[in-house]
Amino acid sequence: MTGHTLTRLALRSATVGYVLCLIVLPLAGIGWQSFADGWGRFIDDILQPQAQAALVLTLQAALITTCVNAVFGTLSAWVLVRFDFPGRAFLNALVDLPFAIPTLVAGIMIAAVYGATSPLGAWLQRGGIEVLYNVPGIVLAMLFVTMPFTIRALQPVLMELEQDQEEAAYTLGATPWQAFWRVTVPSILPGLLTGVFLTFVRALGEFGSVVIVAGNIPLKTQVAAVYVYGEIESYNPQGATSVSVVVLLFCFLALMLLERLIRPPGERLPAFLIGKPVPS
Amino acid sequence: MPHARHVESIRTTLPDAVHALLNHLLVSVVLLCVGVPAAVAADSRELLLAIYSVPKEAYENRLIPTFKQQWKQRTGQEIRIRSSYGASGAQARAIIGGFDADVTALSVEGDVDQIVKAGLITHDWRKAADRGNVSASVVAFGVRKGNPKSIKTWDDLTKPGVEVLYPNPKTSGGAMWDIIAMYGAGLKLADAKQGAPEAQAAGLIKRIQKNVKVMDKSGRESVTTFERGVGDVIVTYENELLPRITSGRPIELVLPAETILIENPAALIDRHVDKHQTRDVAEAFIAFLHSEDAQRAFAEYEFRTVSTARAATSTSKSFSQPAHLFTIADLGGWEKISSLLFSPQGVWTRAVEEVARGK
Repeated sequence: MTGHTLTRLALRSATVGYVLCLIVLPLAGIGWQSFADGWGRFIDDILQPQAQAALVLTLQAALITTCVNAVFGTLSAWVLVRFDFPGRAFLNALVDLPFAIPTLVAGIMIAAVYGATSPLGAWLQRGGIEVLYNVPGIVLAMLFVTMPFTIRALQPVLMELEQDQEEAAYTLGATPWQAFWRVTVPSILPGLLTGVFLTFVRALGEFGSVVIVAGNIPLKTQVAAVYVYGEIESYNPQGATSVSVVVLLFCFLALMLLERLIRPPGERLPAFLIGKPVPS
Repeated sequence: MPHARHVESIRTTLPDAVHALLNHLLVSVVLLCVGVPAAVAADSRELLLAIYSVPKEAYENRLIPTFKQQWKQRTGQEIRIRSSYGASGAQARAIIGGFDADVTALSVEGDVDQIVKAGLITHDWRKAADRGNVSASVVAFGVRKGNPKSIKTWDDLTKPGVEVLYPNPKTSGGAMWDIIAMYGAGLKLADAKQGAPEAQAAGLIKRIQKNVKVMDKSGRESVTTFERGVGDVIVTYENELLPRITSGRPIELVLPAETILIENPAALIDRHVDKHQTRDVAEAFIAFLHSEDAQRAFAEYEFRTVSTARAATSTSKSFSQPAHLFTIADLGGWEKISSLLFSPQGVWTRAVEEVARGK
């Protein structure tokens, strides 16, 4: 009995200590550093035209990335779970690749494909489409590194979602559209939201691949992470920290929202998200 | 009761073991602090260098081996030199953060001054020969083979349809030199009839910035991007371009008539040499870097020598001389010019903002 309680206590304090050391401590450090010179300095730092532009661009690119990956991620997960076709296992294995390869390598890969010396890059350039060293390049890099999130968050949910539930809806007189919205969507929504929000926060902080494919021109194609790096390199750790804190804040807010939307576990989602509950 | 006795014996021996362990630790710490440097001073010595990445080959292949040999001849001592290479600013920050290098050779004076500010360099390093600089180069243009856009002057960089590359001055010392060269060239080219030369120089920076396609993190990276087929002209160190041209890459060097002499400083770090008792070796190494042997080695790797007078006599290499070469001192010194151009309200900072707003 006491042994059991002790084990539980030990496990709990280990977890708390682990999270504290790895996440809370560094967070407190950066927070403390950014406000060391007061709020005025912090506001000044983030209102610098270059900082502001970098933050706005990062948010925009991350939002586009999130939307694209939400749609195509859902579709891909659906296809990978529901359809059997030659090469499915291989395709499925490929999905994890963006997590496995260094983001810097991802950037080089994208640059190689869309660069001016490659056939595709040259063709796009003739058509007046600038992918590399422009916003599309940034979005492309973000899409690449965040691709697995939605797919991997949805796959297990889709696998568990038994088709007979949808079939039951049909026998009760639901149209396919109703079955999809009232049965399928509510079941996969927590998974989808998790994937989408993780995509968003991951895209916000992306550095390695973006720095290669974006032109990194201040106020034009420079994202927040690259701006932060520049400030560190030019002996302005203060400015770097302030902008980092803003990015962290966005991430934190997004994750809090996610937590609110999908919790408590097992319970239904807020009514505004799924419309009226299915009539029993 | 044997059981109780056993426990008892553990109780008594445990503190003893801890005590012994502590003693061991104490002895080893004392040895580390006192014994090791003393022992090293006797026969074999060690020197730790922190160098920026560009002259790595010159240091590794020529300078360090030659110095080792000379030191052995002079003192009979074997010397072990460990060196680290990295971006100039990153090296300076590492040193400030605790990397205890004895000697540092960096790309820009400003980085050495940051170490001075941190209180680690306490002597006036600019008092040394050539104001503390050990290697030199000039800012030059790299263009595609055959110079298809016929780029010769700074003004050609502002023409519509010309794509320009140089790295971000926030992360690259080389880019700072590039933009300082633009500013100085702008001053030289200024037409007395068209108002203040400073405004005209700022205008040149702005018009070039308008054509900038990519700003990489470092000069090396910028050359890589250029070699990947991006851009019509790259503004960079002459010594970055020459070895590539020699090795047959399809690049040509264009030397603008107005350009800056890039000077790279080296200094010993007082706090660290005193701690390691390596001041004599460090001083000898700095003196060696200024020597003819070292300058010849630098020239082999396409660096210009720091003193133009010495260049004529001691190196076989001849670099073409730009018509209007100026130095950082001509522009008022590093501190003044770097804050004039790169501070939050600086000329370059404003140029970038205005270009982005389409003014």
